[in-house]
Amino acid sequence: MVRTPNLPPRLRREAQRAEDAARAAGLDFFEVVFESVDARDLNAIAAYGGFPRRYASWRFGMDFERLHKGYSYGLSKIYELVINNDPTIAYLVRSNSLMEQKLVMAHVFGHADFFKNNAWFAPTERRMVQTMDAHADRLKRISAQQGQDQVERLLDRALGLEGLIDPYLPLQQARSGKSVDRVGRARASFEAVMDGRPAPSPVPTPIPGSTLPTYDCLAFLIEFAPLEPWERDVLCIVRDEAYYFMPQRQTKIMNEGWASFWHSRLLTNGLLEGSEIIDFADCHSGATASQPGQLNPYKLGIELFRHAERLGHDIFRLRKIHNDSSFIDELVDEEFAHENQLFTYHDNPKGGGPQIASRDWRTVKQELMNSLAWGGQPRIQLREVDAEGALVLVHRHDGRDLVLQEAGQLISQLAHLWGAPVHLLSLDGGQGKRVTAGKAGVSVADCEEAIESCGGATSPKQRPEQKRRTA
Amino acid sequence: MGYEVYRMEKDRARFRDIVRGRLRGDLKKYLSSTELLGQRAGRTISIPVPQIELPRLRFGNNEGEGVGQGPGKEGAPVDGDDQEGDAAGAAGDEPGNHVLEIDVEIEELAEMLAAELELPNIEPRGTKQLLSEGGRYSGLRNQGPRSLRHFRRTFKRALTRTIAEGNWNPADPRVVPIKDDERFRMRRTAPLPESSAVIFHMMDVSGSMGKEQKEVVRIQAFWIDTWLRSQYKNIEVVYIVHDAVAKIVNDEEFFHLRESGGTKISSAYELALDLIQNKYRPDQWNIYPFHYSDGDNWSARDTSHCISLLRDEILPQVNQFCYGQVRSAYGSGQFKKDLDKELGSSDKLVSASVDGRDEIADSIRIFLGRGC
Repeated sequence: MVRTPNLPPRLRREAQRAEDAARAAGLDFFEVVFESVDARDLNAIAAYGGFPRRYASWRFGMDFERLHKGYSYGLSKIYELVINNDPTIAYLVRSNSLMEQKLVMAHVFGHADFFKNNAWFAPTERRMVQTMDAHADRLKRISAQQGQDQVERLLDRALGLEGLIDPYLPLQQARSGKSVDRVGRARASFEAVMDGRPAPSPVPTPIPGSTLPTYDCLAFLIEFAPLEPWERDVLCIVRDEAYYFMPQRQTKIMNEGWASFWHSRLLTNGLLEGSEIIDFADCHSGATASQPGQLNPYKLGIELFRHAERLGHDIFRLRKIHNDSSFIDELVDEEFAHENQLFTYHDNPKGGGPQIASRDWRTVKQELMNSLAWGGQPRIQLREVDAEGALVLVHRHDGRDLVLQEAGQLISQLAHLWGAPVHLLSLDGGQGKRVTAGKAGVSVADCEEAIESCGGATSPKQRPEQKRRTA
Repeated sequence: MGYEVYRMEKDRARFRDIVRGRLRGDLKKYLSSTELLGQRAGRTISIPVPQIELPRLRFGNNEGEGVGQGPGKEGAPVDGDDQEGDAAGAAGDEPGNHVLEIDVEIEELAEMLAAELELPNIEPRGTKQLLSEGGRYSGLRNQGPRSLRHFRRTFKRALTRTIAEGNWNPADPRVVPIKDDERFRMRRTAPLPESSAVIFHMMDVSGSMGKEQKEVVRIQAFWIDTWLRSQYKNIEVVYIVHDAVAKIVNDEEFFHLRESGGTKISSAYELALDLIQNKYRPDQWNIYPFHYSDGDNWSARDTSHCISLLRDEILPQVNQFCYGQVRSAYGSGQFKKDLDKELGSSDKLVSASVDGRDEIADSIRIFLGRGC
């Protein structure tokens, strides 16, 4: 079930051996396709998020420029690239050594198993290669009609809103038997218009997630904003792709941990020659190294799975039901925090950079879960359309403030799409704030109401005003 | 594979277009800063541009906290290498931190410069061109080899003839060319100018020229080089510094050397003249001397020596002589007054005074605006 269209015979044999070993160990995956590419091509594919084809956008060009420069100067190199799809597609860099290829293959089978079996991936589109291709075609068609610049402007606007979706919606939909990505109405009317037929009368089949209050801002816009059909279609594409990528944000630690756990186990249980062990150990420890003050998802993930195995958990069940946040809730205990030397840090109020704040495992655990919940992104709820027709967004504050100035730029793009002002309620240093974007630009005002709306029961922790250190 | 890369080229080109657009908008800024100096490799210049960021919702100023891993007591600094980056959840997302270098061809940068400063192209002097024979298929004739047959022209003639003969049948639109219809591409030779130029950068490095004055000269010289490089195929650059005596130095020394003592401008002019007579003969080279100083000369007698050197020897042999006077705390600026008084009527002498970085653009426009 592994396909190796352009691999040399030696690698083909290794791919087969890796697959046999993975299956024997109990991993379960869609067909895996390994494709061998050179580093430059891999950088291009990586800039497209792993897909052979995406719609035209300068952002992919910029990402490529960055990856390619990094690679040319020897600063960075992509080892593995695998995409959630049926068949699962993975790339092997031609210049890697045989040991590295074996490592990547075993690692890929770990990811492939995770994609197929983890609950958060269950609602994702599994024919994403074709879907991306279709998106590219649709945008090409729209560009031909509306002009490249128009489409680019809308895309740039919409992409900032990518984070305004509800990570929990797909699972809820899947449970209730409805699927999330059938935004058929907009598409049908768009296609009708393209073919010169009258648009179907707007009998609303509400888009899942578009009833207030909602976290799925994009769905609400698609449904209710005064947009041209083609604009709706562009937003649908952006939303579909955002939902596709969301589970990868939510399970970064688990996914990398699971893949590393299995590459390590499979390689040291027969896939490696004795002479390759030292090189492997070097490579593996490089991938799982952690700087003080940094968390490496590969390292944290693999340790969590090892810890679970020691405690007698069914690790296959764990990889099925959890996301990063709930996984940590389930597994991090005093022993784990101690052994892995976990700590929380904050900026030293006297200056001089961050310092270790606490080694109390409960504090560490809480903070870790906080930072990973909601895919690591700010939780923004669309609460209502107020009496003046303005959108009211509420930032569910978890102790971390937003960069309000940038949030202002973002909601002004939102206001543009909505065609009326947009308010965002948030907290800044414990003070309630309302950011408003409208025709007159962006303004920030103090707002008592926001304290209650955003903070809810958890009062925001008081923190010294401190510039955050830059990377 | 490879087709990904092909596809990528379009997105990359679009990104580079956007960057160029910004570069064009910011050219004024680059014209008065040292940012681009030393970024030239061959015929490209790498220009640092900040990554273009779309606004996002990000966690802000109290994000200097999180969870880490490693040894140390509570209260101990999280060392690691602060330069290395942030902890989990805080991936370096500060806008402006990511700097990308974009390679731009010299021609392209020169084109932007020309658009900004409205510079005319240089018309190389007629007798100073080395001509090489070039050719292009720009003509037509009615005989020639098959491989050069001009299909469209041939077909058109055949079609016209078929219609004229009344043999045209739209249901069976067959057109058969006969020998008379055939037209062939013909190669026309055209002389391709291949011209060479030499730039003399002469600078006063006497005590009165300070660091800032030299920076101004550096920036000026960079843009002048960029422009002339875009205009001539072969460019040589000669750097001459002088106080009371002149010497040839390399570019590194040129910009960093600091001498003291008096100033005898004629020493530099004599050295340049010597090179013109012996090495860069005016019948083969387009010659561009640039002289930068703060305008103080040793004596009035040396100044009049300079003027006669220029009038009798240098100006007749060069395309244009440019004098840039950089304002310094000590310079009197007398030299420019003298030059303008004696030689102001010559169309080969251009002088400009630069009081600070903001005036670099104007001085370049004055120097290069004549197109000769």
